[in-house]
Amino acid sequence: MTTATIIAAVLTAVFAVIGPGLARRLPPAAATRLLVPASLVVAASGVWVLIAVAFTWVAQFQVVSRYGDWSAEQVRAGTPFPTVIAVACCLLAVLALGRATVAGTRRVRVLLAVRQSCRHVGEPGSLVVLDNDRPDAFATPGARGRIVVTTGLLRALTADERRALLAHEASHLRHRHAWWLLAAELAVAANPMLSSTVRAIGHAVERWADEDAARAVTDRRLVARTLARTALLIRAAAPSQALPATGGDVPGRVRALLEPAPRPRVVPLAVLAALLVATTLAAGTVQRRGDELLDQAGTYSPPAATVRH
Amino acid sequence: MDSGRRARGTLEQEVVAALAAAREPMTPAQVRDQLGRDLAYTTVMTVLARLSDKGLVTRERVGRAYAYRAVRDEAEVTARQMQRLLDAGDDRAAVLSRFVGVLSDDDEQLLTELLRRAEEG
Repeated sequence: MTTATIIAAVLTAVFAVIGPGLARRLPPAAATRLLVPASLVVAASGVWVLIAVAFTWVAQFQVVSRYGDWSAEQVRAGTPFPTVIAVACCLLAVLALGRATVAGTRRVRVLLAVRQSCRHVGEPGSLVVLDNDRPDAFATPGARGRIVVTTGLLRALTADERRALLAHEASHLRHRHAWWLLAAELAVAANPMLSSTVRAIGHAVERWADEDAARAVTDRRLVARTLARTALLIRAAAPSQALPATGGDVPGRVRALLEPAPRPRVVPLAVLAALLVATTLAAGTVQRRGDELLDQAGTYSPPAATVRH
Repeated sequence: MDSGRRARGTLEQEVVAALAAAREPMTPAQVRDQLGRDLAYTTVMTVLARLSDKGLVTRERVGRAYAYRAVRDEAEVTARQMQRLLDAGDDRAAVLSRFVGVLSDDDEQLLTELLRRAEEG
């Protein structure tokens, strides 16, 4: 059980370290669609392992063992984990589940609040123009969200650039990017080791919308130019504005658009698949070893043993 | 069919964006020239008629033609709500898909350089 637990922990660390690299090496849509579920699987496996280890301690209490078919003393004698480790795992499991629940409910509440506040503005998916000189543009979450652009930005862009901007934001709505990001948020809440992978997913989501826009206007340079100009315009209008982190790493996005469209690659896919299978297997093994421990500590005597006189 | 509807929606947005960017009302011919795409005059007319039906644009007579302008302040209160989303330093702003993020000083320099490359064409 110790070996499987260590393997599971190492695999989680490996995923946390190479996740951002995988995100960069895959085309952005594939990166999002694969790494979000992968992060959830890794986070869930981690919690699974923590619970299995924690239970080798929890099972030592009479209150608990009375309901199971094992003897608390035998579990205590048989467990490979020092109490301090098992207690730490128990705390971490509670923390992980608590954090994921809090982050999840909070995010969903915010998503619903934003949806509520634009319910009476335009139609779902439509463009809402804000009469404001300050250049800015964003999409509200969900497939039925709105694309909001200020007159300040619309006036500063050419018709082609406006087309690129609208195509980018329409991609966010069409592919429900807010929900992908919510799922990634849950994974990182349950396992903070995944934070740089989740940040890379945030970048991949923006790149996904950029690539969609490039396809829609059939001009990568146009999208690159629109991004760069808009970012510089916004900065010139409000140099010290504390904006939220979405849409970050504009230079990286522009640079990617000045290069040819990314192609699907097999190696990162294979690495990711292997890593996921291994992580799931390791987590499953930890749980099975935990079950075996309880079986061996069983007070239930098999019929063969009872005939001995 | 779905992509056809999407294309129509996109064109409607482009027309609204063009009208909102213009300070003066525009004739269908001006809208078409502004969009700079290979669009038929009738297509632009159809889009403008549909936007007019939806109450998103108004038209007025200019000489012998009609000129269109984007409707403003149609729902002042809700517009202000959206505006607040922009200003919100709270977590509501974090769920918006902003077109571009914040730039650091280094980013700004780098981006100016990249923009030059993008414009070289």
